[in-house]
Amino acid sequence: MQNDLTPLPPQVPKNVEFRAAVLLILLALLVGGAALYVMYARGIFEDTNELFLLAEDSEGVSIGMDLTFSGFPIGRVQRVELAQGGGVRIQVDVPQKDWPLLRASSVFTLRRGLVGGSNLRAFTGVPDDPPLADGVEFKVLIGDATAEIPRLVADARELMKNLTALTAADSPIAASLANLQSVTEQLKTRGALGVLLGDEANAKKLISALDRTNALLAKVDSIAAKADAQVFGSKGVMPEAREAVAQINGALNEARASLKKVDLILTDAQAIASNAKVATNDLDQLRAEVDTSLRKVEGMIDQLNRRWPFSRQPEIKLP
Amino acid sequence: MVHFALSTGVRVGLHAHHDGRHTYHYCMASTLSSSNGLLSLGRGALQWFVGWWQIAHLGAVILVLALSPSSYDRDTRLVLAREAYQATAPILPWFTVLSSLISLVIVRIVVVTALSYGLSRYALDMVVRVLVLELIPLTAALFVALRCAIPNAAEIAALRDGGAFEALKQQGVNPLQREVLPRMVAGMFSTLMLAAVSCVVALLLAYVTVHGFTGAAFGSYTRSVGHVFSPAVVVIFTLKTFFLSLAVALIPIATVVYEARLDRRRRTSAELHGLVRLFSAVLLIEVASLIGNYY
Repeated sequence: MQNDLTPLPPQVPKNVEFRAAVLLILLALLVGGAALYVMYARGIFEDTNELFLLAEDSEGVSIGMDLTFSGFPIGRVQRVELAQGGGVRIQVDVPQKDWPLLRASSVFTLRRGLVGGSNLRAFTGVPDDPPLADGVEFKVLIGDATAEIPRLVADARELMKNLTALTAADSPIAASLANLQSVTEQLKTRGALGVLLGDEANAKKLISALDRTNALLAKVDSIAAKADAQVFGSKGVMPEAREAVAQINGALNEARASLKKVDLILTDAQAIASNAKVATNDLDQLRAEVDTSLRKVEGMIDQLNRRWPFSRQPEIKLP
Repeated sequence: MVHFALSTGVRVGLHAHHDGRHTYHYCMASTLSSSNGLLSLGRGALQWFVGWWQIAHLGAVILVLALSPSSYDRDTRLVLAREAYQATAPILPWFTVLSSLISLVIVRIVVVTALSYGLSRYALDMVVRVLVLELIPLTAALFVALRCAIPNAAEIAALRDGGAFEALKQQGVNPLQREVLPRMVAGMFSTLMLAAVSCVVALLLAYVTVHGFTGAAFGSYTRSVGHVFSPAVVVIFTLKTFFLSLAVALIPIATVVYEARLDRRRRTSAELHGLVRLFSAVLLIEVASLIGNYY
């Protein structure tokens, strides 16, 4: 009775244990492979260097967020913590293969877009700058697109207000345009001088003044011609002055000849003086010669004294 | 055993209330309807609590059995292999094809919509989140529940009613160990297998749909996947898939086992009860995972 109620065992395929083991291995491979792939995707197998970014505000920064360079992700935010000074310290792990892209002059920005999350970006202006050390700190510049909107709206509102004031019916621009229109109408009827001087009588006065000025200029011209004749004409002042200058020149030449003669006389006087000097020199020589002659006479007297008989003959007799 | 004591206590309590209601019927008719409503509410709550307690208790017993090396003797291993194979192999190709088609459609819709709004760089992220994290484990669990766990529960009920459990006990074999444990493990295995295969296929399809047949975008794609699977998300995803598979494998069978013991006349509605409890549990797990992931 019990056997009748027991459901029939289903058709068991051959090697069911083997097939079940294959399925089990397949599951283990899938789960293990997926786990390895996720670990690889999270960058667990990469050697990384640490970079610390200092920001004023951690808004928009999340763990796992990318640091991009030219649009390519080169690092991942690993930790966000409060710094000692009150700011925010963001630890970014950068794989060693991408580390040379960052240099001492690199700039880091945190930009919050209108749509989607924030972007952490790195820029390197000079690729030849010295490379970075591990664990280096940088300040991050924060650019916020949404923060700009209120200021932009306020500016736009101010601009619109000014434009409205400018284009209003009683605005200075409208009044200036009306004045310009009346001026152009006056230009058509009264001409430019009429517009400038107010009425036609004044304009006529100005024109008559101009005519009289022209006449005056003509007279001044004739006076100048006469003065020219007086001064530079054949009987003018200038030829006579030229003759006087020639006469003065001749007198000066004569004076120069007289001076030359004086010069000669002076030269002669100088020669006389030099002769006197020579004569004095001759006197000195004469005195010297007299001295010499006296010494010679003295010598002769000495010799006479020796040869005189009273004089003892000093001689040496040989034995 | 604990469940026997509990079930007996519940019955005694219910009868006591039943008798009390008759007493009040003769002396105070006006309070009858309100006390009747309160009683039925209390009885329902008690039944609900007892039902969940029995499921948890059977789950604990099965877990202890599953972790005991003595459960894996030659006969049990054979049954386990048979059940695991039969719960997985016939539905794996169908489910993979079905989930691939649905994945393809959803990936296409998400990518095209994101492109039209200029948000294409978020498309892949969204595809991975929607398909791999949320839809596929849930679909796999429900598929296994309908195709495998509920038929298994019916099979267990038939075995019990047919006296096969008694026969096993007479042979000195624990029927929970020989018949229930392999079916539960098979249900869990099937759910995990279907979810794993479909997730991998969905990831491949998402790559091909977004980038085409090229390996050039593997780096950026891997990075996007790495973005989604943060450690917290991985933990929640693993726990969610595990608990979904557990719920699918445990609840229908546990309900059938204990409902049959409580009241044999209500055995026909046992499967329905199991289904309701299963959907409640699945909903709860899904809500918990969503809260964990996005709050």
